[in-house]
Amino acid sequence: MKTAPRLGVGLLATLLAGASRLAWPAPPTDQPWTLEAGNWQDGKDLLPEPVLKHLQKGDYWFKVVPVDAKKFHDNYAKKFWDLTAANEGKYELDEATCGLKDKATGKNPEFVVGLPFPKVDPNDPQAGCKIAWNFTFAGSGAGGGGATFTLNGVDSSGEFRRIKAFVHTMGYQGRLDGKLKDNPEKLEGQGVTAALEPQDVEGFSALTKRYWDWDSQDAIWAYVPQTRRARRVNAATRSEPVQGLDIFADDLNCYGGKVEYYKWKLVGQGTILAPVLKPTPFQMRQVNPSRYVVETPYMKAGYELPGSRGAPWWIQENLVFVQRPVWIVEGQSSDPYYNFGKVIMYFDREMYRIYWKLVHNRAGEYFYTAACGYHFVKNDETFSAVFPNLVIGVNDKINRAALGGRYQSSFIERNWDPGYFSLRTLTHMSD
Amino acid sequence: MTVRGTALLVGILAALLAYLWLGEIRPRSGPARAKVPALLAVPPTDVARIDLEEHGRRLVAIRRDGKWVDAQGRPWRGDAVGDLLDTLGTLSPIMVVDPDPAEPSDYGLEPDTPRLRVMAAKGKELLSLEIGERNPAWTGLYARLAGQREVILVGAVLHWELEKLRDAAPEAENS
Repeated sequence: MKTAPRLGVGLLATLLAGASRLAWPAPPTDQPWTLEAGNWQDGKDLLPEPVLKHLQKGDYWFKVVPVDAKKFHDNYAKKFWDLTAANEGKYELDEATCGLKDKATGKNPEFVVGLPFPKVDPNDPQAGCKIAWNFTFAGSGAGGGGATFTLNGVDSSGEFRRIKAFVHTMGYQGRLDGKLKDNPEKLEGQGVTAALEPQDVEGFSALTKRYWDWDSQDAIWAYVPQTRRARRVNAATRSEPVQGLDIFADDLNCYGGKVEYYKWKLVGQGTILAPVLKPTPFQMRQVNPSRYVVETPYMKAGYELPGSRGAPWWIQENLVFVQRPVWIVEGQSSDPYYNFGKVIMYFDREMYRIYWKLVHNRAGEYFYTAACGYHFVKNDETFSAVFPNLVIGVNDKINRAALGGRYQSSFIERNWDPGYFSLRTLTHMSD
Repeated sequence: MTVRGTALLVGILAALLAYLWLGEIRPRSGPARAKVPALLAVPPTDVARIDLEEHGRRLVAIRRDGKWVDAQGRPWRGDAVGDLLDTLGTLSPIMVVDPDPAEPSDYGLEPDTPRLRVMAAKGKELLSLEIGERNPAWTGLYARLAGQREVILVGAVLHWELEKLRDAAPEAENS
């Protein structure tokens, strides 16, 4: 009989859990503390289930730092919050597409800055879509920037592949500096990314243009240096592994697509441990009239530190976690070429960043979790930005992971030459 | 070019065309891969009642005037019932894990295992599913259809939907 031993083990575990709870007090709210296997119960309501399982096994642990709610709110400049407040009642949603609509004109708004929906009612059937729009505009205040970063494939024996690449982006919507005079292609934003190392991928590059409308697909061109051809690729490639690693283009900010690609549904609320480089903003240093550089510390992972504990892909240095209130939202694409099925995302209820996402494939199997870490940048109350600096993508189906980001220097560019984001740049990248 | 050379080239061309036809172009005549039916074979609108029985507790959702209520007529919160039905309508067994398990309890399938029953009007049973444990990687759940021995694996999205269902129940004790 297997039932009796199982029951016994269960009872013992329950008793031990209860006994151990008596042995130490609840985690402090005003001091740093560490969540680890020995006190995993304290993380039961603070982490998605598959992450909790890694915590219990000792693969992960979390350095939790206290955060003052007002200070965290002030990571975004006063100008951002004032513009957000001024958006009250201005916008609604297109029922069919979840597209953002100007109430005054019934059309796609000309220019939006700040959160378009300052208040979200959880009982609103459109709450999920409104949260997704707030997420989009919380991250677009800088207007543009870039960084050189790495993608590291890591399995249980360490790093098996490293790719160095850069990304440059320019936004037309959401800019705290205001609307750009010209936007002939009617874009929401555009970006160039290219691989630098190793040699077998050097020169692979892509140009993305995201149109500011309700139904266009992103235009993505991929350039392969060996063929010297740039070809148009389907926007659904965002759900394909990048260079065979356990990381996806859609992991940037934990969601990299157009809001209209998903059907969004708010399914709950909670509190989550949010990964950040630090809970307060970094300074930016001006290097020319439009460019500002931000220095951030490198986050070493287990595979880079001999003898370290836990999963080789787990970050060991310079990453902390803060407790944040979140919306729990489901997203699902109806595009038959998109590989993901139901995606569950944890959005900050105030700052509108996604900290965690759980991904099912189209057969309904859970297979992947991404943790998305950020840093804030602010010098004064007229300009601020939030940047993704880390993705820990873990494929639990094959027990393998990839790390993305972890750059030490990034820049904010407030006056990109729009001509840079062109096929010409793409095809001359490896000249 | 000599006649022999021309004939050789024609021969090579014919061989290439034959290869293309046989290897690449010819429509495959084998049987089409049968599509595995979803767990719930009817549209969600045909469902009149759901029972989730687990650990001596029963959650009941009854469709009344287009809304879901429990046995006492109290409304269910949110869309959890509809979401579960939508998922069951798209979720197919991923694989048969064990056609004839000697110890179903190895898969968490025991006499008091959670059981999900989905019914149409007049109590006609549309689905009865015993729900076992998650597999080691947590990608799926072991399960067994009523009256069958075999243990199947279904996607873990069902676990997520059942959690939502429990959270959305009119109250904790809904039996």
